[in-house]
Amino acid sequence: MSAERFDTALDERLPQGCDGRPVVLSTHGLTKDFKRLRAVDSLDISVCRGDVFGFLGPNGCGKTTTIRLIFGLTYPTRGYVQVLDHKVPHDRLKALRHLGGFVDDPMFYGNMTARRNLRLFGEMNGAVSEERVSEVLEMVGLAERGRSKVGSYSHGMRQRLGIALALIHKPDVIVLDEPTSGLDPQGMKDVRELVRELGKQGTTVFLSSHLLHEIELVCNRAAIMSKGRVIVQGPVSELHPASHAVKVLTGDQSRAWEIIGGMAATGTVRQDEEYIVVESGDGFVPEMVRRLVAGNIDILAVVPAIEQGLEDMFLELTAETETRPGAGAPAARRRGRRK
Amino acid sequence: MSAIRREFVKTLFQKRTYIGWAGLFLVPFLITLAFRFSSGGPHGGGGPPDTGEQIFEQIRTNGMWVSLAALLALSTFLLPLLSSMSGSYTIAGEAETHTLRTMLMQPIRRGTFLMAKWFVANAYVAIGMIIMGVAALIAGGAVFGLHPITLFSSQTIGVGHALGLTVASYAFVMVAMITVVSLAVFFSTLTNSSLTAVAAALVLVIIMEALGAFTVFDFLKPYLFTSHFAAWTNLFRSPVVWGPIIKGLINFAVWIVGMTGLAYFRFRKKDILS
Repeated sequence: MSAERFDTALDERLPQGCDGRPVVLSTHGLTKDFKRLRAVDSLDISVCRGDVFGFLGPNGCGKTTTIRLIFGLTYPTRGYVQVLDHKVPHDRLKALRHLGGFVDDPMFYGNMTARRNLRLFGEMNGAVSEERVSEVLEMVGLAERGRSKVGSYSHGMRQRLGIALALIHKPDVIVLDEPTSGLDPQGMKDVRELVRELGKQGTTVFLSSHLLHEIELVCNRAAIMSKGRVIVQGPVSELHPASHAVKVLTGDQSRAWEIIGGMAATGTVRQDEEYIVVESGDGFVPEMVRRLVAGNIDILAVVPAIEQGLEDMFLELTAETETRPGAGAPAARRRGRRK
Repeated sequence: MSAIRREFVKTLFQKRTYIGWAGLFLVPFLITLAFRFSSGGPHGGGGPPDTGEQIFEQIRTNGMWVSLAALLALSTFLLPLLSSMSGSYTIAGEAETHTLRTMLMQPIRRGTFLMAKWFVANAYVAIGMIIMGVAALIAGGAVFGLHPITLFSSQTIGVGHALGLTVASYAFVMVAMITVVSLAVFFSTLTNSSLTAVAAALVLVIIMEALGAFTVFDFLKPYLFTSHFAAWTNLFRSPVVWGPIIKGLINFAVWIVGMTGLAYFRFRKKDILS
């Protein structure tokens, strides 16, 4: 999937965003009500060509409803989705020709083989060669089970087959709804590597997840959603708080807690399972190590808390919307674009 | 056309497709054997008492009547059941297995999708009826022989003419079953459970049959499609009594257009949440 396969003339007509890259998927005031429940509220997000875009939020925040709206499975109460220059729901059919992916768990006909399922669904969007079927099955690691009935597939295998179907027509945008959910660690790793690889090849991926670490590992841009609203979006690197957290593991965590607590400002030290997590500033770590050694405490590990940044921010932001809808977080803590 | 082909492929991959057809193949053999080895007729035929009795009386002397006896016996319950099941699976069945969303995430118009499903659901019933008719001729011919038949108006017609009338009768009942399929397709767009849609369609058929059985509800009869199910028996008179047949076809057409139209408008804007 090289960049040449994209329509450059079309890309020039599309709105530009993200360092001059065209916006290939966007929502505009997208709102969905289910009777009295507002599941999606005035959603405005922009995904640019080549993004691996993380769509992050707690369970029930409206991620899946948004994806249903993107695919035209449900009708918006207000607003619309735009895929390239096609609006959904108005131009749903044309938009779907540029989209691939799945919502919730990908489901197939259990009494048919994976290959037949791929042909059956794939042919709804144009001819599908046997070679292409083999190729996508190979990409998702199902080449040897292609002739097995899908009814005999595990959940993880169905997830992979869902990705295979998403890829079969080399769409401009792939939308995956929690693709690693229910997978074993190896399966999660494989899927993340596949998504990263797609991103490298220039395919735009819209990845919904409630796993912060996953978004950090895979995505270059992300939006955080809570209670149906996007509360922040931007490059993942900019969504991090400015501070750098470290995890500390010692031979005596109780005494270490006292020493570190005595050094650090209130509220910057906390427990995370067996680790002490501390927001470190300039020169903090060497001084902390000196004091722990002086206290005759064995230091087993001092590691950067990579996932801590986004997690902190996520928890802070989602907690804010729970208590103070629309309230802002301290501006110095983030450089991402607040909605 | 490809949408219809796709739906056919899906239908042919389901075991229940063959179970339904196998049932329709077996029933004429059971009817034939029952008449061959018993002296009495069946308990009620579902059609007008006079024509039903005449058909069942003549079976033992002429296998031509087996196909008509099967039609009369099955058009009150088994065929509507099969039609309800076939129609109900179209949308609700796919919603139940969550394949509906996978389908509709592909670039296909919802109207095209629904009509392809409606067509294939009807084709399934039509193939089943052809199987039933052929099985009846085979069973009746093998056991009682195929001979010229005596019409209800006492004239005798040749085997060829009788076969033509039999085909026309099956076609008439097929139109009646399209009504049931359309009703089931409509219910199928209202629920995500195919069983609920089957039950709803079948209950409505049974209520209509019950209403048609009481003279106090005679004023409703022209509007109930079930009241016209046995109107094909008028083909077996000379001259043919066209009035009830045409009234029946008009009634079926109104129900078919009405129910399919409602299903179309409902499905076009339905939120797919399954």
